[in-house]
Amino acid sequence: MSGDESPFDAVTEADLRERFERADYVADDRTVTTVQLALTLGRPLLVEGPPGSGKTELGKVLATAFDTELIRLQCYEGLTAENALYEWNYTKQLLAVQADEGTVADGDGDGADASRQSVFDQDYLLERPLLRALRADGERPPVLLVDEIDRADEAFEAFLLELLSDFQVSIPEFGTITAEHPPVVVLTSNRTRALSDALKRRCLYLHVEPPSLQTEYEIVRRKVPELDAAVAAEVCAVVARLREEAFLKRPGVAETLDWARAVAALRHEDAESLSTDEIERTIGCLLKEAEDVDRLDATLLEDLQAAAAAADDRLEAEPT
Amino acid sequence: MTDQGPPDDATDDAAPGARGQPAGLGESVAESDVPDFRAARRHVLLELLRLAADLRSEGVDVPPSGPLTAARALATVGLAEKSRVEAALQASLLSSPAGIEAFEEAFPTFWHRLRTGLDAIVADRSGSSPGDEGEDPGSDVTGPEDPGTLPDAEAPTPEDGSGGGETEVLIPTERRHATGDRAGEPDTGDARRYSAVGGRERVQVPAGGLTDGETAAVDRFVDALATLPGRRRRGAPAGDRVDARRALRASLGTGGAPIDLPRTEPTPSELRCCLLVDVSGSVLDTVDRAVLLDVAERLTDRARQARVFLFDTDLVDATTEFERADGDPAATLRDAAIEWGGGTKIGAAFDAVRREHPQAVDRRTVVVVVSDGLDVGDEDVLADSVTWLSDRAGALVWLNPLAVSPAFEPKTRGMETALPYLDALFGFAQPADLAEAARQIERRGLGGPVGYEQDPRRRAEVGGEAE
Repeated sequence: MSGDESPFDAVTEADLRERFERADYVADDRTVTTVQLALTLGRPLLVEGPPGSGKTELGKVLATAFDTELIRLQCYEGLTAENALYEWNYTKQLLAVQADEGTVADGDGDGADASRQSVFDQDYLLERPLLRALRADGERPPVLLVDEIDRADEAFEAFLLELLSDFQVSIPEFGTITAEHPPVVVLTSNRTRALSDALKRRCLYLHVEPPSLQTEYEIVRRKVPELDAAVAAEVCAVVARLREEAFLKRPGVAETLDWARAVAALRHEDAESLSTDEIERTIGCLLKEAEDVDRLDATLLEDLQAAAAAADDRLEAEPT
Repeated sequence: MTDQGPPDDATDDAAPGARGQPAGLGESVAESDVPDFRAARRHVLLELLRLAADLRSEGVDVPPSGPLTAARALATVGLAEKSRVEAALQASLLSSPAGIEAFEEAFPTFWHRLRTGLDAIVADRSGSSPGDEGEDPGSDVTGPEDPGTLPDAEAPTPEDGSGGGETEVLIPTERRHATGDRAGEPDTGDARRYSAVGGRERVQVPAGGLTDGETAAVDRFVDALATLPGRRRRGAPAGDRVDARRALRASLGTGGAPIDLPRTEPTPSELRCCLLVDVSGSVLDTVDRAVLLDVAERLTDRARQARVFLFDTDLVDATTEFERADGDPAATLRDAAIEWGGGTKIGAAFDAVRREHPQAVDRRTVVVVVSDGLDVGDEDVLADSVTWLSDRAGALVWLNPLAVSPAFEPKTRGMETALPYLDALFGFAQPADLAEAARQIERRGLGGPVGYEQDPRRRAEVGGEAE
């Protein structure tokens, strides 16, 4: 295990940037450096940020970029170790016991043949995402995406600790399973509750913020190529202006992309600039709270259109 | 477990350093012969520990293993590029967005010291330079273990004056619009001087008047408070409690077996309100005075019954003035020769309500206090009187002008004393803040998780503003 070190040891920043580029993921310098550190130091990466800022996407892109398996664990309240790690295949165990009575424990005496083995064996183990990530035997270690860890309860968070620090888990009937190739672990959190210090201590931390106008424009151009370039600039400018308002739920990048697709779908080949009417009709893509939509009055719409009109100048003014 | 990083027992600090230095110095030292690697390594590690200690003293939650991880991270990214070093340190030292601001403040200093120190080591290879570099930060090596021992690690607390005497109070005025017109004060700094028995002035405020939206916000706040459940109950099919009496009576018809269970819910009552407005100098400088008066007037209008008291060091019953105000409360206050702008004795003011106007507060009254909680009076008096208020009143809501700042913590002495007795503490600088408070009360009720810390604007700023 010491002989063949992790293939990520030699990942350089330029290499990583190029891989992101190929996967159509626009990342700023901080993200690239932090991800590179997570890969070379073999640390889990904790990504926090508002919803729709591309946290989950980062995990997916890592898997695509390094052409490896993505193992995703969506957390939810009440998620237990059985759902996440392993489960015994009770049906199979029962059948085995019935077929050959009295072998729940290790066979004694002459029970050396295969049929008399314990039912607590590899064959009866159902692998759940975490165990699969530890035992994966591909060319490259898989990417383990633990999504929205803040939704799981604290017990589960504590359970993750052993996995994250040593990349091993203990199964009482079976022994300790250690990963031969530690997976690349990406945890995401929406900060609906604070994570424990023990968990945070083990991770590298990346806080994703809403992107700058320039970056967002680039994202829209890549992900929604069917939208006219000038209109895309206006779309980004309007969203940037909307983020300045104190909405309950500010639009994230995901909302921008939704909206860009909506605008593209409603238009027919013309490259006119956005009208207030158009903004108002499609605002449902951006604002997801009734109260936020209520706050969209004529003045704000005018502001938004003004922002759209000034989009080109702002894009040129900002350094790339 | 493969060996992706240096071994964990690298407490000797040789491992991360030895890896870090050649990579980092490679850029700047290529032309020089034999740079003093040991001194450079020591310098980098000391600066790293110092940065961690600085962050901790700013209240940032740096994990104990943070500096170790940071050293390893630096070994990977090298010391040549500022942006990469910044990203690496941020990833390893921080663990929540709350620390980003402090980090961005501390990083330039760290970077400057790191580079100048390294350059000095490179320029003079005799090793004498790291000596004086090492002395000063050397004392900080203990920092990460015990940040409390650092000098000036404690943030200055604004309320350490003894009761009654001259007291200096620091008021952070974060929001520009929160600053009202201030009469005749030459200094414009953030720190202003207030005294417990400061000079008063006549009420001089241009008649402002609220816009429709602002009036609606105040109305909504009043309605939200008024829909607080009263003690009376009325029949309701989906009420939260069974009406035992009617159930018993109904059961007679079914031979004593209760089949139908009639339910009841609390009756919402109109607002009876007691408004206690702090008009000390510190509050008047923080909020727009016209808005303060207009909001108070609208609240009085809208509520079924409202008593208004203004207090600084004394308590004045201004109920009739506000009732007769008719759009210009400042004028009636001026006519009544009511002055404002003195010091703050919140406890004494509450106590005066108890002694002189006990009938103003009963169990159906919602007490709304507008104050920044910068109390210079006796703490025990405040504790006693606020206990009485919260016992006697239906609900006690505190509107703090300072709480609109995302950095607000209820740490002033007055606020800390009163906080356990409050049903809710909201920020208030303009009517829109009342709308936000109303929204929370409508959604969750006064018993639920409401308050300034639930304000989505504050949360957005605390969580997201890291530019």
